[in-house]
Amino acid sequence: MVRIKHRYLLVNILYPDAKYSPLRPAATAGDDIPYTVQFRRPSPDQMNGGLLMRLIRDGVVELFGDYGSGKIAGSLQVKYFSSATSTAIIRVSREHYRLVWSALTLTTRLPRPVDQPCVIQVVRVSGTIRKAEEEAIRRARLSIRRAEAAAKSSSVSIAGTIPTASTAAAAGDDDFDMINGIEDPDELGDLDDDDDG
Amino acid sequence: MAPLRPPPPLNNSKKRKEAPTNSQPNAPKRHKPTDHGQKTRDARTLSTQTTSKAFKNGELDVSAFVKSRAFEITALEEGMARSKKALNRRAFQQVPKELRRRTASHNVKRVPKRLRERGKREMADDNTPTVTARRRKPTAHMRLRLETVKKLRALGAKRNAGKDRVKPPVADPNGAAPKNPADSAPDQQQPVKTLAAIKARTPKVKQSLLATPPLPKAKFRKRQIHKSWLPTHLFHAKRARMTAPSASLWRFSIPLTPTAKSYRPTHRASHARGAVAWDMSYISTLQVEGREASLIGMLKALGVDEEELVGRQGGKWRQGRRVLEKFVFEREAPHDPIAPVTMMWCRDPAEQSAGTVEMEKRKRKLLLRVHPSAFYQLWEELLRLAKVAKPAVSVEDLRFEIGSLEITGPGGTEALLSALWPSHPIPGPLAKGDTAPTAMDIDSGSSNKNTVVEETWSALAGLTNPAVLPKNALLSFNVQDPRLHHPPRTIKLPRTETEQHKLLELIASWPVDTVQQHPELFDRKARQAASAKMPSQKAVNRRKGLAAPGEYPEPLPNDPQIPVLLYTTAPTNPDRGAPGRQSPKAGSWTLLVPWKCLQPIWYSLMYYPLSTGQQPRFGGLDQYRQSSFEAGKAWFPGDYPGTKAGWEWEYAERRKREAEWRKRPKGKRVNYKKVEVGEGGRGEVGVGWGCDWERLVGGPPVSHEGVEAAADAEKSGKSGDKSAKGVKTKAQEESQEPPQQAPPKLPHLTQLPARQALALLATPPTTTIKLPPHIHLPSALITIRLTLLTRGVPQPCARIYRLPSSTANPELRRQWLALLSSNTRNHTQKHGGKHAHPRNLPKTGHGLPQHVVQQRLAQSLLEPARAGEETYPACPGEEDLVGFVTTGSYDLAAGFGTGIGSLLVERVMGREEAGERHLCVVRNSGTGVARLGRWEVI
Repeated sequence: MVRIKHRYLLVNILYPDAKYSPLRPAATAGDDIPYTVQFRRPSPDQMNGGLLMRLIRDGVVELFGDYGSGKIAGSLQVKYFSSATSTAIIRVSREHYRLVWSALTLTTRLPRPVDQPCVIQVVRVSGTIRKAEEEAIRRARLSIRRAEAAAKSSSVSIAGTIPTASTAAAAGDDDFDMINGIEDPDELGDLDDDDDG
Repeated sequence: MAPLRPPPPLNNSKKRKEAPTNSQPNAPKRHKPTDHGQKTRDARTLSTQTTSKAFKNGELDVSAFVKSRAFEITALEEGMARSKKALNRRAFQQVPKELRRRTASHNVKRVPKRLRERGKREMADDNTPTVTARRRKPTAHMRLRLETVKKLRALGAKRNAGKDRVKPPVADPNGAAPKNPADSAPDQQQPVKTLAAIKARTPKVKQSLLATPPLPKAKFRKRQIHKSWLPTHLFHAKRARMTAPSASLWRFSIPLTPTAKSYRPTHRASHARGAVAWDMSYISTLQVEGREASLIGMLKALGVDEEELVGRQGGKWRQGRRVLEKFVFEREAPHDPIAPVTMMWCRDPAEQSAGTVEMEKRKRKLLLRVHPSAFYQLWEELLRLAKVAKPAVSVEDLRFEIGSLEITGPGGTEALLSALWPSHPIPGPLAKGDTAPTAMDIDSGSSNKNTVVEETWSALAGLTNPAVLPKNALLSFNVQDPRLHHPPRTIKLPRTETEQHKLLELIASWPVDTVQQHPELFDRKARQAASAKMPSQKAVNRRKGLAAPGEYPEPLPNDPQIPVLLYTTAPTNPDRGAPGRQSPKAGSWTLLVPWKCLQPIWYSLMYYPLSTGQQPRFGGLDQYRQSSFEAGKAWFPGDYPGTKAGWEWEYAERRKREAEWRKRPKGKRVNYKKVEVGEGGRGEVGVGWGCDWERLVGGPPVSHEGVEAAADAEKSGKSGDKSAKGVKTKAQEESQEPPQQAPPKLPHLTQLPARQALALLATPPTTTIKLPPHIHLPSALITIRLTLLTRGVPQPCARIYRLPSSTANPELRRQWLALLSSNTRNHTQKHGGKHAHPRNLPKTGHGLPQHVVQQRLAQSLLEPARAGEETYPACPGEEDLVGFVTTGSYDLAAGFGTGIGSLLVERVMGREEAGERHLCVVRNSGTGVARLGRWEVI
């Protein structure tokens, strides 16, 4: 039996410009919020799956015209979007996922009701939603660990010591684990000559 | 992905869905289609958290950050688990359809072994309440029975103890010790020996008396008061839908259809791969005994053609090498048709040696098999004939003495071969696994003459179609108890070409004809001996236990020798199937055995692992009808409304359909009053739920009541004036009453045999036909097979019309013939079936050159009309009604709808014109669209 095959893109949205952020730093902590936490800001409440969908569609139309939008229209779906963590899982047909990926990569600003500068990272491309979910979990775990470590170290540094080597080493590991754009290799027979982007 | 979607319930604590809360009271109550994907979709939705919820007061801090990530992790993990569970199927759901068991959901032993571990785990996970018979609390009813059993046991024990005490006055000082069985055994045997010395008179066999069903076990006796069970009743009752207890069929409890879906599997098993078997023990068997001449005279009196009986044609049959199936008629004046009867002679042991005079004088036996619905009619007829026959003929009812089964399909021979092990040990493929004996071996007498039949039988391995054997060939020999070889193993089939050649040679030479012994099945003593000697299952098991591992137990000299008689039946019609395609003409085996020996044979058949995989299927009555329909054969009694049995069957069917129709609400059933029957007429011809032969023969009611006919039917209580409506009203009145006897058959309605029908149809209309004086031509029916030439599927009760005559309605006739010219089944099939026509012609020439548009237009004009279009011809009027379809449906063998029906021969005689041989118009009951068809006599 023929199965319709998809690709699932695990996506993170980053907000480089802090002044648009919906949240202000906690009053008590002041400047002590660690960088890892500031880097992965939550999205504003208006940002949701539908808006993300629109963003992708507009981006694909802009880049690839009617051809591209027609190709992805049938299969594009936002499977998961959590604004608190700015994580999304997007499904698209296997032949055309690069159109979506490029549209995401070239996005610099979220559309109208939000209207913020942003950077969208495709961190993982997988053939099953399960793998995408697992990757999201792994990353969430990592960032929890990092945030906790950073918070501890900052509290320690407030006390007057320099960051220890161990936390630095952990940060190094994290960097290795946070490589973006990991792609599932295609199966041997699946390679096709479509020049879809 | 609504941001505020609440997470779906994690575990379904509620079993029932709540009523929708947002339904307005005035909203139109429209049934919403069930959304089967909803469950999956729910399971796959992941719960999310919005920013404002995650970060209280709009502040960004580490703990909120960590919490939001933690929420995400749990949401994703839960989502994965949930979607996995939603797709998950329990172990017992994954077995193929035929292995599913209801109990498998709570009894892990019902699940195939490879899934059992998983099933066990799932049941433990699910906390499934598993119950074993041992631990089940008996129901109230069961408890009562158990108590009774306990009481009876106590009583019995007391009685036995009393008996023991009376016999030997045991003086045991230790009290009532258990008696030594070794002591008492000789005591008890003594009187038995003396009794054996007195020879009891062998009971005289009462002839000309109806047989009584065998006395069932006490446990089952109450259930067989008004009916009898087939020998395989217990097998079927577990696996098939049986006739209702109140409405037994022909005084038998007969399996109607297997519980599992089986329409297409039955077709496949009987035509392509596998085998289908039926327990046909309900077919009645009769034996007549007397001199050959008087028996043949008797058959002649029953209306069997003389040349079939006495000429060269019937030679082999008379010698007992072949069977003969013929339709018999009553002897007295209207010569009503009775039923098709299968006849076989008992072959005489000393045929060659006896002189001619002796040959004439000796008594011979003839076995007759007839459908139970016509049994009494034939029985009485035979008794009457036996009284007047000289020299005397005796008639014996063997109904519950001989059982039978039928098996068809490519694997049928193979399955039978494994079940029937000849009693004489022979060096065949079954016994030793050597090469099969060749025809040469068998012919040349290298083997013992006594075992030729057995050897031939064993050499038939590899035969896939019994129809290639000599037509109606007959085999008879003795077989061993099949339980000794249970469970059956796949037999060795010929693989090499030489072996196949040997088989072909054997079939061509057919050595059985010359050496067939006296079939012991005709011997009452042999039958009874075989039945009586059948060992108990316990004894069989003991013998099997003693045999070496992997070996079957050795045959013993006092094993039962079950006499069997086997014959083949081949479909009669050579030109069967779709035009241009040779359809398989599958033959079938019929096996006759003593009634009590059938059940073990049946079990061996049913559990035989076929060489092509799977096991033989079993069929019910519906499957039998289906198989004869697909073979293009008429089924007795349903397709013979001219016989008494057929008339009763039709009446019962009519009542059933009527009840079905009445059960439905008015808006959802066909309104027979309003059916357009062509020519602007409305109202179904006759009763819509039956083949209204009364109306066909008697013509429409006197006053103009064609429209009201259906109305009367609907107003059930109203009977109206009987004189005007005649027979039909009477039938309706009766239909209101509880089940009872069918009204008597129309006085002259009769069924003509095919040969007579063909002769009648062949006579040119100008010559006067000389008929036997008893045949009342206006009510003589012929059985036909029907194929539709354009589209459509004939249903039972469909009306068959002839084409309107060229004088009365030339226009309608021309329209119907126009359909024939190009739109026949052949034509459409060549072009890919029903979607072949270029129907989507452009109305205006959008971007097409003018000439193409014109061409298409012309083509569309030439194309015949299709149903539903204005130009499609209407159904002919009632004056052109000629008959009804008795069986009709989509025919899997032919690949399109066909039917079997009956026509009034007088109405189709002399109506043929050149090139329109046997054309007719068929309209299903309750519909307005008629279809063009072609019929042929069968």
